[in-house]
Amino acid sequence: MGYKASEQDLIAYLYGELEGIEKEAMEKYLHEHAESREELEKLRQLRNTLSHVQDKEVIAPPIFLGDTRQRFFGSIPYFKTILSIAASLLILLMAAKLSGLQLRYAGRQMVISFSGGSQVKPTETPTPAPSLTSDEVNKMIHSALNENNQAMQTSWTETQQKLDASITKNLAANSAKIDNLVRESSAASQEQIRQFVSGMQTENMQLVKNYFQLSSNEQKQYVESLLVDFAKYLQQQRNDDLQIVQTQMKSLQQNTDVLKQETEQILSSIISTVGNSNSLGVKN
Amino acid sequence: MTETLLDIAMMHADSLISRAKDGDQNAQGRVVQLWYKRIYNFCYKFFLDHDLAMEVSQKTFISMCKNLPSLQDNARFKSWLYKIAVNYCREEARKKKGSRSLSFDVVWNRDAEDSPQWESTSHRNENPERQLQHQELSEVLQEALLELNDEQREVVIMKEYEGLKFREIAEVLNISENTVKSRMYYGLDGLKKILERRNINKETIGYGI
Repeated sequence: MGYKASEQDLIAYLYGELEGIEKEAMEKYLHEHAESREELEKLRQLRNTLSHVQDKEVIAPPIFLGDTRQRFFGSIPYFKTILSIAASLLILLMAAKLSGLQLRYAGRQMVISFSGGSQVKPTETPTPAPSLTSDEVNKMIHSALNENNQAMQTSWTETQQKLDASITKNLAANSAKIDNLVRESSAASQEQIRQFVSGMQTENMQLVKNYFQLSSNEQKQYVESLLVDFAKYLQQQRNDDLQIVQTQMKSLQQNTDVLKQETEQILSSIISTVGNSNSLGVKN
Repeated sequence: MTETLLDIAMMHADSLISRAKDGDQNAQGRVVQLWYKRIYNFCYKFFLDHDLAMEVSQKTFISMCKNLPSLQDNARFKSWLYKIAVNYCREEARKKKGSRSLSFDVVWNRDAEDSPQWESTSHRNENPERQLQHQELSEVLQEALLELNDEQREVVIMKEYEGLKFREIAEVLNISENTVKSRMYYGLDGLKKILERRNINKETIGYGI
């Protein structure tokens, strides 16, 4: 194929960015060419060396968009200072207006005053008015206060009475209700208990009855089976006894038969011997 | 690997990104939290300078928040974000190049290897063993990385440390996958030579750690 690995391919292979056929071709080429292999190894070593460079830690300063705006305004010279002077003048004017500042220059006098310049004259006129009325005012205030207090008190007492009445009513109604409820509930509970008890009794009775019935049945059966077994046993015994008696009787019979035969034989022999001797005696 | 973990977080963050796209500031904040460390580390390895890395990553995320609505495919978020970061890195590198007499992104080529400039740039690392003993291997490696040219450095960092696929890197840099791979190859080759020159090999690493 005449494939010749270029520097670019070598670099791409070094950083693992060759894929598929290209990678295979490169690997084959490296297998065949020792000098390229060596070069690649050297590059790897270099990369290893380079990896000793450490990143510097740095904290991002939180600046950016605010910064750009400031730059925008700052770029127009004197704009800021002019604006601030105008603003402070405006504030001064407003303050003067609000506080009623007056500046007057009359004759050789420079007068600076707050809340108008007529502060000297009115000092005489307002004095009689309050001195005349102060007692009256006090009285009026007292009377008004008294009235108010009385009205307040009456309304207080009324509301209190109303409240008391409503509370007592509510209490009475509530207690009656509660009494009823308690009574009902007690009656109900008595009945319930009675029912419960009677139910319990009947259940118990049935249980006991069942138990007795069951147990008596079982006992009956047991006794019956016992009796039957006993009868069977007796029968068996009798049979056995009968058989024994029979066999004994049979053996007895046999014995008597044998004895009979023996005695007959003995008798016959005796008779014969006797007969012989008699004949001999006769002869002799 | 942190990359795979991040990828998992990324999957979970898919809805996060779409919310951030709709202008949810909370979600945008979360996205920033999620990616800040990666972008910062990318920039740090690119410049080997904390302040520059912070600046570039902040710019990156400001731009991200502004331009997020124009992102069409949520799956491309990663390469899109790195694209922004890479562009800011390049911009910053250009500024630096203009302002300093000794450019730090010396265009690396094989002829330059034997030029006296190499000697001047590596004078700080006359005794790598001692540095290793002080467990500064990480820094030595990063300094070696810094000796690569911008194009190779970008690719090496994105591949080796950020774990992007070659396809994603190609997307970030708007070049073909093959170009990415050959940049990676020459980047690694260059690193190998730089490390050999600095007498860093397997034995010295083992000794240092």
